Amino acid sequence: MTNRMARALLGALLLAAPLAGQRVEVEEFTLGNGMTFLLLPQRGDPNVAAGWIAKFGSVNERPGATGVAHLFEHMMFKGTKTIGTKDIQRDSEIIAELDGLRDEIQAERAVLLEKQRRGLVDDIADPAQRTAEHSALLERFNELLAEQRELIVKDEFSQIYTTNGGSGMNAGTTSDFTIYFINVPSNKLELWFWMESDRLTNPVFREFYAERDVVREERRLRTDSTPTGKLNEQLEAMFWVSSPYGWPVIGWPSDLDAITRAEAMEYFDRYYSPNNLVASLVGDFDVEYVKGLASKYFGRLERRGPAPGAVRTREVPQQAEQRLTGHAETRPQATIRFHTVPDAHVDEPALIVLSAVLNGRTGRLYKSLVLEQQVAVQAGAGVDGRKYDGSFQVSGVAAPGRTPEDVEAALLEELDLLAREPVGERELQKVKNQQLAGDFRKLQSKFGLMLQLLTYEALGEWSNINAFSDRIQAVTPADIQRVAKKYFTDTNRTVALYFTKEGAGPPGGGRRRPGPASQGGAR
Amino acid sequence: MKRRDWLKAAVGGAFAQAASGQQSLPGHPRDLVFPELEFEAPDPSAYRRELASGSVAYLVEDHQLPLVSLSLTLRAGSYQLPPDQAGLASFTGSQMRAGGTATRSAADFDEEAAFLATQLGASIGSTSAQASVNCLTQNLDASLDLFFDMLQNPGFDGDRLEIARARTLQGLSRRNDRLDGILRREFQRLVRGTHFSTVQTTQASVEAISRDAMRGLHGGSFDPRRMYFSVAGDFDTDDMVRRLDRALAGGWPAANESPPAIPAPTHEPRPGVYVVDKSSREVNQSHVRLGHVGIQRDHPDVFKVGIMNSVLGGGGFTSRIMTRIRSDEGLAYSAYSRYQPGTYYPGTFSAGFQSRNATCAQAAAILLEEIRRMQEGKVTAQELDTAKNYQVEIFPRFFATAGQVAGTFAGDEFTGREKDYWKTYRERMTDVSADDVLDAAQNHLHPDRVVVLVVGAKDAVLAGNPDRPGFSFESLAGDGGIQSIPLPDPLTMEYPEA
Repeated sequence: MTNRMARALLGALLLAAPLAGQRVEVEEFTLGNGMTFLLLPQRGDPNVAAGWIAKFGSVNERPGATGVAHLFEHMMFKGTKTIGTKDIQRDSEIIAELDGLRDEIQAERAVLLEKQRRGLVDDIADPAQRTAEHSALLERFNELLAEQRELIVKDEFSQIYTTNGGSGMNAGTTSDFTIYFINVPSNKLELWFWMESDRLTNPVFREFYAERDVVREERRLRTDSTPTGKLNEQLEAMFWVSSPYGWPVIGWPSDLDAITRAEAMEYFDRYYSPNNLVASLVGDFDVEYVKGLASKYFGRLERRGPAPGAVRTREVPQQAEQRLTGHAETRPQATIRFHTVPDAHVDEPALIVLSAVLNGRTGRLYKSLVLEQQVAVQAGAGVDGRKYDGSFQVSGVAAPGRTPEDVEAALLEELDLLAREPVGERELQKVKNQQLAGDFRKLQSKFGLMLQLLTYEALGEWSNINAFSDRIQAVTPADIQRVAKKYFTDTNRTVALYFTKEGAGPPGGGRRRPGPASQGGAR
Repeated sequence: MKRRDWLKAAVGGAFAQAASGQQSLPGHPRDLVFPELEFEAPDPSAYRRELASGSVAYLVEDHQLPLVSLSLTLRAGSYQLPPDQAGLASFTGSQMRAGGTATRSAADFDEEAAFLATQLGASIGSTSAQASVNCLTQNLDASLDLFFDMLQNPGFDGDRLEIARARTLQGLSRRNDRLDGILRREFQRLVRGTHFSTVQTTQASVEAISRDAMRGLHGGSFDPRRMYFSVAGDFDTDDMVRRLDRALAGGWPAANESPPAIPAPTHEPRPGVYVVDKSSREVNQSHVRLGHVGIQRDHPDVFKVGIMNSVLGGGGFTSRIMTRIRSDEGLAYSAYSRYQPGTYYPGTFSAGFQSRNATCAQAAAILLEEIRRMQEGKVTAQELDTAKNYQVEIFPRFFATAGQVAGTFAGDEFTGREKDYWKTYRERMTDVSADDVLDAAQNHLHPDRVVVLVVGAKDAVLAGNPDRPGFSFESLAGDGGIQSIPLPDPLTMEYPEA
């Protein structure tokens, strides 16, 4: 049998015998206060993947307090009225006094910022620039922190989970949601209900200002001190003209320095009402038992008014191509991005299949740009469908001796080809086969399933985890051609070209005037 | 032969759960009462089969999903190659996957695998080679055919080699860009000195890689007698053993000699403070790591050391380092210690953080203070309980999936782990006392012999924090002073004179 015949047979097999059983059957229920639960009991190891999601993120912030959604996420680990303190009375008094001092310190800082604005002060963190009052305030602030430290039961929230075998505890914030998750041994599931409902009922944001410094370090780590972090941030800010997706999830540095504890509490009151929250459990548990625990523990959360409406400020239609040219200690590369559609939009499946046609070892970008033209050493496509808007991008790293502009031209040619000619049936079937296999592979991890159910629900509804597969299988070559024509237009395009700035290396290589000719990989 | 359902075998005690009618909530988690959970570690011998070729397989059936996952590991790696062949091992592994086979062109091989939605991989690291296949049950025949063709008859396509070479050379030129990458590399050099684990690829060594050299390494390594298989998923054990026996029957490389022993490092680190200046771009945060040589995994103190390190800095938010540096002072996003026992020779102890330039000295001082405090007094009962309970409670997680069971046991046999390791794991963990922890800290932490490495904005880091003038790297360095490590030429890895 020839290879071709064998392949034709296999193809027929996959087409003729659609795999059954990959559907996710979730038990869903909602408490009187509006909190929704998605339960997926599965036999297996004695463990439950547990998480909950708040259906709001940095897109819901306002200018001046960017980063508050993520900072708030950090505060959710600092304890409650019960957890984290030996004396909630005195603890609360100290917190109030710290807030007052902080306001006064901010007023002192405002004076320094004003001087900086006029160019009279270079570094506002320089102690020599402070007034005597400013120094005294800082001293009192540190004294209070020291007193509070005596009352704090350090990281008790984490300690309780850890000693009970909770593992993988963490949380994450995106532009559209904040998600909190952990694995708990199945015999200790009630602990999860106790701990999570407690921090949603009685949170205390102690150690707020130290935690704000931690987030500043996180920003330095992820954005400021990486080769391309700040350029990438600038690209986002340029791509989104009016949408709040343009500001970074971690927040602008000036806002992080200024956000107050009261603003974090306001965020909590507005967005962490139970009718905005969804929980999911996947693993070894009994559904009726869990329903009982859900109403016993989460039933006490008070609904605080209707869910906030959709984000008001939407992206304005792009009118002209945008370009960003950056120089960094990185490989020469090109990124091309287009405004597309939100995650739940009917065009999204075609865009996802289109990206799959471009990606992978046998995808068009690798075959054309890397293997045949050798203009790039790697290339890929990606779909970023968010709640209110979305984007599609292709990118590639220039091969030695080739430029970011060369890569840009080659990427554009591949997109043009998708708009000109329909994708072949076999090429499309390959992508669909991978999707079908992926439907099974994604069921292998309970933790992964829990995260997926919650994020699907945050962006639309959990049942899209099933509907999505059907929509992918239904995509036709004509669909792909249509979306390529519709979205990959000149005026809808943003291009970012990064050139190599030789920074490190032999002494003297520090500051070179950047220019389009300074790229190039291996010497 | 009957199918073994590892899940039923593993999970013993059922626990009764009943919805509680009363709505008064326990005041504190300590008031909660949990049902017992019994869990027995699976028995390796229940899954172990010897193959006709002389190799060993661990096969764990799990029929919940129509997927089969198979992987193998064997002794081969860069440790057996001279430094001027750096890169040959990793190229051989990745080109086995990328370069087609004797009868399938690289493009045909890739297309076939992609259409089946079968995932295939091959890699060769410093001390072992791995290969894997994951496929839908219905494509098992075709997928195993591809897998064994890749392992037995790799084509090492010339064009694919050149493309990989160009990408690798470009990557080499950029390896002084990231602070974390520089930190990892230079810390290893300081602690390990000249050793296979610190050998770096260079432009010359990458340019020297040839198809013949790859064929040579492949032919000297992929002898079925050396292979350790783990198979998990939707298959029948007897049937899979027959398939493996058939696939391994003939036409394979026969390595003439057994693989060489893995050499232990002989370097004695020189304690001191070392700084790599990375102010070629504006970095407002620097990375710090300190440490020394540790212990091997068969050391009798390994459990004590593990608990000791959990309390010190391995236990995330419940560890002392994280509490002091992050939670109390807000000086870092991540702060940690790691005590990694080596498999073949003593591993390393390391601790570190990233902090804004001005506060690195303060955080480093705290790090050393906490290491010394571990040696000066016993850990509290709560610290000890938290660290031990966690290890005992998460034990079932090590065997959460069929893939983990098969992979763990195959890996144990490959690396020669002691037989009753998992059987006695929880007991040995529970037996660790506060005295043991103190003992481990006194014997296995050496704060006076650490190398301290700083990568970042040198001048700003050394200037310190005007608000905390008491902290400086100069005082931490003592008599040894602060030594600069220049960045090497990224293509030759030659270090200019400091």
